[in-house]
Amino acid sequence: MLDAIGLTKRYGAIQALDGLTLHVGDGEIVGLVGHNGAGKTTLVSILAGLNKPDGGSVHVDGIDPVRARDRIGIAPQHIALYQSITVREHLRLFGGLAGLRGRALAAVITELVEALRLTEFVDRRAGLLSGGQQRRAQAAVALVHRPRLLLLDEPTAGADPETRQALLDVVKDRARDGASIIYTTHYLPELTELRATIAVAQQGRIIARGTSAELLDRLAGEVLLRFDVGEYRTATHDPSATLVDLVSRARYPIRGVELRTPTLDDLYRSLAAADVH
Amino acid sequence: MSTDSTHRIWVLVKHNALIRWRDPGQIISYLVLPMAIMVMFKPLYQQALNRFAGDDQGALQVVTGPLIMFSIFAMAVVGHSVFLERQWRTWDRLRTSAASTGELLIGKTVPVFVILLAQQLILLTFGCLITGLSFPSSFALVLLVLVIWATVLIAIGTALATLIRSMAELGMLTDIGSMVVAALGGALVPVSMMPGWLQLLAHFSPGYWGLEMLRAAFRGDAGAVVAPAAILLAAGLAAGLFTVRRLARGWGRSALV
Repeated sequence: MLDAIGLTKRYGAIQALDGLTLHVGDGEIVGLVGHNGAGKTTLVSILAGLNKPDGGSVHVDGIDPVRARDRIGIAPQHIALYQSITVREHLRLFGGLAGLRGRALAAVITELVEALRLTEFVDRRAGLLSGGQQRRAQAAVALVHRPRLLLLDEPTAGADPETRQALLDVVKDRARDGASIIYTTHYLPELTELRATIAVAQQGRIIARGTSAELLDRLAGEVLLRFDVGEYRTATHDPSATLVDLVSRARYPIRGVELRTPTLDDLYRSLAAADVH
Repeated sequence: MSTDSTHRIWVLVKHNALIRWRDPGQIISYLVLPMAIMVMFKPLYQQALNRFAGDDQGALQVVTGPLIMFSIFAMAVVGHSVFLERQWRTWDRLRTSAASTGELLIGKTVPVFVILLAQQLILLTFGCLITGLSFPSSFALVLLVLVIWATVLIAIGTALATLIRSMAELGMLTDIGSMVVAALGGALVPVSMMPGWLQLLAHFSPGYWGLEMLRAAFRGDAGAVVAPAAILLAAGLAAGLFTVRRLARGWGRSALV
């Protein structure tokens, strides 16, 4: 569905993308994670046809993203809604631009309103909605034309739990229907819930890719010990013995300790740190 | 133009008309204020100008002057409509839709064009009725001139809107710029009564050419319409090309993502 090969993009002195390659298949959800400035947003803007890469190639369904815009839906990280029109009017506008009209458009709007729990404020102006309600409205706009490629750029940032769950449920539904989804986020548990393939972006490249289980295998056998004075990760078959050993060798008093297996967050930090060093 | 394209333009025209409808304050003031000026200044202009320039000249000045001045002020409506897209980040949102840049621009400018044209026709009719100025003998010529003027205003207003960075800047630019351009063009005092250096400077004001064109149309003098219309259309074309280039690329790095 999506093939981005060797993308480069520079803004002045900043190399936003540095040979980034990413493939997303039909029905696949790719969770794109990375620090701010890793290139995620630049990638999304190129995939949405808003920017052109300096180098490399990108194809959506085999064609240039600008020509494939009717197949792409985007929910940007910033709210981009007309403050003086209602949610329903937004859906009519963007559904209409995608060629939907009459009963077909009305049916899609009804379906989305229910799925994203917009019923009570669908006829309210966007400027009067709360942040969470605007997030859901924004997602509905991205989904109204049933895009084959869905770009969700931190769609749950600042969202309340109800909004977050409604969005995740809809994303899973769309993937089941065959849509390809790129989901950027800083909340890694969301990617586990979505059963997404995770792609870690760092300095304009993808430095690791796999399911959460595959990526965590990289840390198989390791435990993470977090003391009040610092963090220590090591491979061991006997975590208790390792803990006792470390405590006994400590040069200063230890007042608190946590012992656990590494999570996706830990893995991500370790990958990012390794790439930087 | 394909059926799909026509449908998208229609959707955009309806949408932009709705946005204007929800926020009518600007255009109401640009209708009411010139009407008030026409009523209040009619005796002054008629006494001052009829004596020196002949019958009807005072009425012509009091009708066409405010009309041109407040149609230039109405460029703020154009600027506002474009700038809101930037402030709300919705222009880039539209760019991700199936609509082309051309369709987006047509959809955005048609409602504003209708507003500007309606404003000018209402002011013209109102002015003729309250001053006793004869309705133009060639209504078609006047209508053509108003269409040209509205088109040029939209082109220049849209170009300016792509350059400003805030609503306050837009307000400043349209208030000061409109007043200077209109006054310099002869909307307040006939250019022939200005000092020599100002008369020379007036030729650089679109307001001057707008008034020349409109007054020629009022006289039914199609030949005298051609030169000012050509100058204005050239300026409008340059502004339009600049706008298309700027909006097709968005405002620098995408404001959306």
